[in-house]
Order: sequence, then C-alpha cells, then structure tokens
Amino acid sequence: MNYVQLEKLGEGTYATVYKGRSRTTNEIVALKEIHLDAEEGTPSTAIREISLMKELKHVNIVRLYDVIHTETKLVLIFEYCERDLKKYMDAHGDRGALDPNTVRSFMYQLLKGTAFCHENRVLHRDLKPQNLLINRKGELKLGDFGLARAFGVPVNTFSNEVVTLWYRAPDVLLGSRTYSTSIDVWSCGCIFAEMISGVPLFRGRDNQDQLLHIMRIIGTPDDRVIRKIIQEAKADNQQQPKQYPRYPKIPFSQVLPKASPQAIDLLERLLQFDPAKRISAAEALQHPYFTSGQLPYPMPPAGTMAPPSFNFAHAPQHPQQPQAQHDPQAQAQAHAAYMAQQGMPPQMYPAQAQQTQGMAIPQQHQFMSQYPQQYAGGR
Amino acid sequence: MASVSLYPLASLEQIEKSSSRDDGIPENLEEDLRAFGCKLIHQAGVLLKQKQVAVATAQILFQRFWFVTSMKQFGIGDIGMGALYLASKLEECPIRMRDLINIYDLLLQRTADTLAAQTTNPHKGEFKYVPMSYFGSTFYDLKDALVVAEMQILKRLGFHVHVVLPYGTLVNYLRVLGLTSREDVCTRAWGYLNDALQTPVYALYPVPTIVSAAILLTTRLLGIPLPSKLPNCWWELFDADWEDVWSVCGFIMRLYRPRSLEDRTRVLGMVSKKGVRQWLENNSLSRTI
Repeated sequence: MNYVQLEKLGEGTYATVYKGRSRTTNEIVALKEIHLDAEEGTPSTAIREISLMKELKHVNIVRLYDVIHTETKLVLIFEYCERDLKKYMDAHGDRGALDPNTVRSFMYQLLKGTAFCHENRVLHRDLKPQNLLINRKGELKLGDFGLARAFGVPVNTFSNEVVTLWYRAPDVLLGSRTYSTSIDVWSCGCIFAEMISGVPLFRGRDNQDQLLHIMRIIGTPDDRVIRKIIQEAKADNQQQPKQYPRYPKIPFSQVLPKASPQAIDLLERLLQFDPAKRISAAEALQHPYFTSGQLPYPMPPAGTMAPPSFNFAHAPQHPQQPQAQHDPQAQAQAHAAYMAQQGMPPQMYPAQAQQTQGMAIPQQHQFMSQYPQQYAGGR
Repeated sequence: MASVSLYPLASLEQIEKSSSRDDGIPENLEEDLRAFGCKLIHQAGVLLKQKQVAVATAQILFQRFWFVTSMKQFGIGDIGMGALYLASKLEECPIRMRDLINIYDLLLQRTADTLAAQTTNPHKGEFKYVPMSYFGSTFYDLKDALVVAEMQILKRLGFHVHVVLPYGTLVNYLRVLGLTSREDVCTRAWGYLNDALQTPVYALYPVPTIVSAAILLTTRLLGIPLPSKLPNCWWELFDADWEDVWSVCGFIMRLYRPRSLEDRTRVLGMVSKKGVRQWLENNSLSRTI
C-alpha cells in the first residue's frame, strides 16, 4: 500500500479509522478500513459513501482521495482533519459554547457544504457535530456520507431510519419517507443552536419523546400542519394523527440568551416544523446574519471562508512545511493576509489562542496528543 | 455542477471494442446473453416480490458491466445475482442473501431443465425443483459467487452506481403530449421501457431519448399522430435526436423478432462462464477444422 498506517483514530460500527501517511507525498491522511463481511457483502454505507463522495469536491466536504479494494477489505483514503466539531467544542468552547465569530464561521461553512451537496442532488441525512470535521486551519468539512443518498425524480420512497435522533427533523419523526433537502437544513439548525449554547438543543430518548422535546421549544404546530405531514408521509404503518399536548412557543432569545437577534432570526427559519417552510441552505447563506454583521466581517469569495483566527498562532511552525505550497494551505495564508488587510489582527482572541497552545497537554483530547508524532514524521 | 446527478454512459471506445468480442464472443450472442441475464433478474425480482425500482436498477448495472468485462470472465447468472443484490441495497429495499440464492438456484435448475427438454431428453416429465441439500456446497458456492459478483460490479464500474430510471420522465412527457388520458398509451409505453431493460440502451443513451423511443413505438403502433415534420418534431421538445431515438427503437424491436429454436436454446447453456468457455472451445475447434 502506498500509505504508512499510523495510530488508530477511532472505531465506528463498520469501520476503523487510522491516521496514515502517503509514501509518495508525505501527506497525512485518514485511512478508513472497512472489513468486507461474507454475510452481507460490501456494506451499503461504504457503497453510498464512495459513490457519492468521490464526486463531491468542495472545501467544506471531506475529500475522498482514493479507494483501495482488496479481497477482504476496502480502504478509503480521506483528507485528514484534526477532530470533529463535538471534540472541538469540548476543547475550545466555554462549556461547549463557541464564541460568536467561530459560530458564524462554522455555520457559514456548514451551510456552504450542505448547499453544495443539495446542488449536486445529494442528501447527507446524518448531519451532527460528530460528523463535521475541523482541520487545524479552522475549516469545517462535512464527513461520513454513510447514510447519504442521491435524489432526483422521485421514483421511490426513502428509508425513514435516518439521522441521529437529536438532529432528526420533525417530519421524519412523523414518518415521512418523501423528505428532501429540508431534512439536512433542520440538522444544521440544531447544530447552530448547539454551537451557541454548548449543549444539544433537543435531547429526546426516542422518536415520540424527541417530537415532544421539539414542540416544547418551538411550540406545537397547528393540527393541520401535522395532518399534512402525516398524509404526505404515506406511512404504511398507519400512524394515526396523535393528539399532542399544546405547547406554546418559547422565543429562541429565551432559550439562547447569548445569541444575537440575527442569529435568532436565522435559527427560526432553519427550525421550521413544516418542511415546506424551512429555508434552503443556499438561501440561508444570504441571510443578514452572514451578510451584514455587527462586526466588520467581510465575506470572502465563495468557498474560501476565512478560518477563525485562533489557528494563525500556529502557522509559522506548521509541521508540514514542505507542503506549504499545497493549495489550501496557500489559500489560508492568503486569507491571513486578506484579513490583516481588512484591519483584522490575526490574533483577535488571544485568550483562545493560548487555550489552543495549552491543549497539547490534556490526554483526553487524543488528536492533540498526536502532534509530537506528527512533527517527528514530518522531518 | 459536478456530475453526481449524471449517470455514466458507455464511451465510444467501450462500444466499439467490446471485451466479449475480443474473447471471440460474437455480437449477436452477447446480445442474447445480455437479454437472457436480464430476464433472469426480472424473474428473480418477481419471485422475491422485490420493487421494480430495484429490479430495473439491477438490470441497468448489469448492462453497464458488460461494457467493461467479457462474458468469458464472468457468468451472466452470477453477475445478474450480484447486480440484484447490489441494487436492492442502493434502493434501500435490501433482500436476504439466503432468499436470493434460493431463488437463483431455482432459476438455474429450471434453465438446465428447459435445456435438457429441448435437446437431450424431449420426453422427460415436468420440471421439479429440488431444494439444495443441507450439507451440500451449493449454497456456499453461490454465496461466494454472489459476494464476488457484487464486489466486481462495484470495482469495475468504479462505484459509478448511480442510475436514473425513466418512469417519472415518461409520465411527464405523456403529460406534455396530452396522452395521459389514454390508458393504452401509458401501459404500452411503460412496457416498452421495461422491455428496453433487456437491451444495452440504458447504458448507451440518455433517459429522454429512451423515453421518446418508447413513445414513438407506442404512438406508431396505436396510430396516434403527433407533429413529426420539420421544424415541428415532438421529440425535439425532449432534446432527443431522431437518429438516436430510431436506434433505440431498433434495439427494442430486435427483442421481438422470431428466433429459431437453436438460437433460443443456445443461451440456456451459457448462464455460467463455464458454458460460454465450452461454446468458445467448440466453435474455435469447428473453425479450425
């Protein structure tokens, strides 16, 4: 194999992920090893992931470089990202809550990646902080397309068993199989709220409980809305329109006191109970929350969102100097320059930068403890 | 826009230089074997009560596969089984391996029986299915073949397994042409689309062209006039070229031509690659003599 397998990064239900280094370019990659099971052949998650991801090339989507197919296993070679959003929030946030600028940057990138998927007729169907990867440049990337699927002229209903419960849209909870892009938008809304507050917004135990959690915050919708969704769901399991307790809507400003009015407005549009009323990812990118900020926050050209400033502290001693010419790297540096030009000092949040440096010590953040090894490997 | 929504079609080179042809399998034999493999997929789909979307997807993957692989290398039975298994995963209506294997075992036995009836033993009794033995190796052999077939389809198609089915497009076009009230038109055009799955057209032409061909055959058969004189040709509404539409019609109509008993029997013995190799051996022998 053209890659040296380094330490294990994690283990999923059907795959093990290792860090790896390319023998030819020395580039650090993530190797996802999938064992081929004689009982079910090639796992459908792997089929989906490969067939969709190899076409989706975007800064905000984890890049699938290559696939190695042997008799007993499949190895997917992915772009390496330091950690996922969940771990990032634990490490950098104030009890999980991120500062407003980071939230905005991540939210922008999340919507950008999601909009790109939708433009290319792909539903991700499993957006959650654990599946959003953050690299050291502060770029957020959508990963784990194991549940994703292509959509087009509808000829078939889709599986209802999608999306991790807490990020699952109410129409899916009500049994919809004809959902579309709005299902990912709902998840984006949940993630948005979670980045602001540090805790997941709706934490249900099961399908019904999840619906109640949603209703307790955004209010029980009109009976007509529920009936419409259930009718469209054409659920074969004849789910009767249940009587739901009538909860009043709690204003998001009360739920998320830290959020700015514009953030609240965007969240409101993302978390619409009725999927038809939910904003699209592309529209959301045009929202005043991004386009007109209280801070001078110039929007760089599409796909080149400036990383949050914390990581600039590291830039001069980047371990992979030989790769500084590598495109995204150059881009990031150009951005640092761009931001500086706009009168934004690279270290806007010195407190946070310190936090980043201090992070090499705690052991629970396994990605960080790997830095020294990476340094050694680079030489 | 990236090409995720686009489905791959065979390249000119793949069409001109068929792998099967390189191995000495003549064009008409390949055509017959493709059609027969698709019939088996269809029969298996019916017996498994599988959704038509999965069956059609399997047939299209099966057709694509033979543009990158020779029939000397893999049997149409195995690949058909692998394609149906894969398509069922893709369309989110998975089937059990055990069920699929039992069904294919039945279909293979029935094929062998028909072959025997038509060649060696014309007066044998009715076909009786013999379930595979509990301790035999049939199940494991078929299972191995299935797993390999699925993997080979993925590998050789480079995981390009996105398939676009024509049915939604047909409904739209019939609406545009004001033909939805004619049930006979809808049924017949739908039938042509399904029959076309036995031909390579879904790997050769875009969906609008195939749907236009199904509508053309239908309206000609039922004598329904549509604007067909330049510059007002109805198929141009759907961005289809006359030449292509006509060629698809040709592929479909060839399925219905009368066949000799010999032609019909020939494919029955070539469901496995062993049969194909045997045939190649016999034929190269007869050629050299």
